[in-house]
Amino acid sequence: MSGFPSDPGTPVPGHAYGPGSSRRIAASLRVADDQATLFGPQGERLVVGHARRRDRIGAGPSLIDIDDGWRFETDAHEMIDTLLGHEQKAGLMEYERFHPRLVLVVLACFAGVFLIWRFGLGVLVAIGIALTPAPFVSAIDRGNIAAIDRVFAQPSRLDADRRAEVRAIFDDLAQAAPEPPYGDYQLHFRHIPRLGANAFALPGGNIVMTDAFVRQFGDDDIIAAVLGHEMAHVTEKHSLQQLYRSLSIYLLIALIAGDVGPVAEDILLEGGALMSLAYSREHESEADAIGIRVAARAGYDPAALAVFFRRLDGMTGGGDGPQWYSTHPASRDRAAEIRRQIEELGLSAD
Amino acid sequence: MQNPTIHKVEFSGNARSYFGIWIVNILLSIVTLGIYSAWAKVRTRRYMYQHTAIDGRRFDYHATGMQIFIGRLIVVAGFIVFSIVSAIPIIGLVAIFGLLFLAPWLINRGMLFNARVTSWSGLRFGFDGSYWRAFRVYILYPFLSLFTLYLAIPFAIRAQHSYSVNSHRFGTAKFHFESSVKPFYVAFLLAIGWMALAGLLMFLVLGGGEIFAEIAMAERTGRAPDDALMLRMGIFYVLLILAVLPAGFIYQAFLRNAVYGATSLAGGHEFRSDVKPMQLVWIGVSNAVAIICSLGMLLPWAHIRMMRYLSDHTFILANGSLDDFTGQQEESVGAIGDAYADLEGFDVGLPV
Ligand SMILES: [Zn+2]
Repeated sequence: MSGFPSDPGTPVPGHAYGPGSSRRIAASLRVADDQATLFGPQGERLVVGHARRRDRIGAGPSLIDIDDGWRFETDAHEMIDTLLGHEQKAGLMEYERFHPRLVLVVLACFAGVFLIWRFGLGVLVAIGIALTPAPFVSAIDRGNIAAIDRVFAQPSRLDADRRAEVRAIFDDLAQAAPEPPYGDYQLHFRHIPRLGANAFALPGGNIVMTDAFVRQFGDDDIIAAVLGHEMAHVTEKHSLQQLYRSLSIYLLIALIAGDVGPVAEDILLEGGALMSLAYSREHESEADAIGIRVAARAGYDPAALAVFFRRLDGMTGGGDGPQWYSTHPASRDRAAEIRRQIEELGLSAD
Repeated sequence: MQNPTIHKVEFSGNARSYFGIWIVNILLSIVTLGIYSAWAKVRTRRYMYQHTAIDGRRFDYHATGMQIFIGRLIVVAGFIVFSIVSAIPIIGLVAIFGLLFLAPWLINRGMLFNARVTSWSGLRFGFDGSYWRAFRVYILYPFLSLFTLYLAIPFAIRAQHSYSVNSHRFGTAKFHFESSVKPFYVAFLLAIGWMALAGLLMFLVLGGGEIFAEIAMAERTGRAPDDALMLRMGIFYVLLILAVLPAGFIYQAFLRNAVYGATSLAGGHEFRSDVKPMQLVWIGVSNAVAIICSLGMLLPWAHIRMMRYLSDHTFILANGSLDDFTGQQEESVGAIGDAYADLEGFDVGLPV
């Protein structure tokens, strides 16, 4: 590597620092028979001992530790190379050099980010879910229901008969649905004006249905199909997947991008959160597909889910606050996809 | 002080050589699913420190990747345990209180570690913290300022810097911090003013409230918002960040100048920082734009640019020779870590 191999006897010029002192001493290093000697400016001997080289970074100095806490630094890298041999980690420094080869490294980074996004995250999420104890999930459910009740829900105003009818449908569905992973399915009726006609599932198996939903979509088949859809969210652990996904993204960004700086980190995190939302769309179609099968198995008409989506599509947001379906043009696509699957599988209520 | 010698901080890093280190670090971190990042951090720090010098004497960073890795493992494990425990109703509350009392100890440990692994001119920095003083300045004072509607927060910030600087040593020489609260109020009020103005303008011009209401609704009901909404949301975020961004830089510029100016080192050595707020804003915002537009590839350049600007505006007023600092035993000596980490780039604020 070195251009001019220097005589091992030639002293290397540099600076030395003694133990426990900030004094900067113009010094020279000589190595003979594995024994390093550090000489001061007047040629006096500062220390004799074994020399250990630290790996060099960028255009930084060559750093040598000598016994008794003495340190020697120099920019005469080639002379040091000759004296002590090329450092162990020279390999990494060679790859870091500004060179067209770095284009390949950049491409590999982009490919790596893509692969982690596509597969690595899935593995992390699966590990997280496997390690999650059931009591933890039940605690999430309890906490969420308590929060919903405190913040925006009121007790249901449906009469008891109507609730019993819906509960009967719910029991049929719970029989036909796959085993819930974290405890029994439970149905909760709530009056939540701000959510409009809505139903949603918590990860532990609790499903909340709003009064407005029962009033607007009173049809048994529609209620069954929507409950099947929500139960599918539970069995497929969709909320947990999304929770762990965003946690993993956060962790990976923090670890890999490390010191990207505050601005870039914010943007990466927000971008990650938005992309996770997009990911939830995949979960919706999965829940649709499983939901119609469960509804059919329980003896209800699976096509009702498609009817439901088309009716959503026909509704306008109205003046009563933003409702998800008013901003959800994909309902029509979902209805079409459901019809296609029903035809393909020959599903029907019998 | 009779005739101090003025030394400018010299930074010799450049974007070309740093780019290679940065991108190789990222590749290795990706391949190892983040594990290598501990070693990457050490390599980055050593690059930055070794390319920073005062009076021809370099800084250096002596932590090992394994030390950082083990530290991170413990933190990640603690984080997981904490998030599981905090979901359980009553125990969760206890856990949050526990964390409150753990924080000062963690902060002290961080500063102690950083101090011990940082050296300048061949001598290590040190840190002598106290749990209860850390508790006061990092937990109690910020909590009390809540009751003043945060109006007293500059007092808390000053107390934090005072604690951090006064607890640090270089060798056996102690740092000293003495400042009125006025510059802390100036920095605080200017930054808040900017943020309020920029944020308000953005909400009025772009209709931010409406977007947030829709997103919140979509999230709560577990339905996917449509593409148009997400695009609007994305654009809104980028513009909002860009608009609010200068507040942070303005704050850091004033604070940095104030803290450096109020700091001295035993032996009569003083420090100065004359960062210009608007120049820092320009560098910070144009860096952010360059990073976004280059998909992150200009990050090393931006980092080096900021480092160079900061070091160009940082001075030591040395009272005589810088040769005469001494250290105690290696083990008992630590690093000025955070105070110096400031010089390391985007992190313009002084200790924590
Ligand atoms: Zn759904």
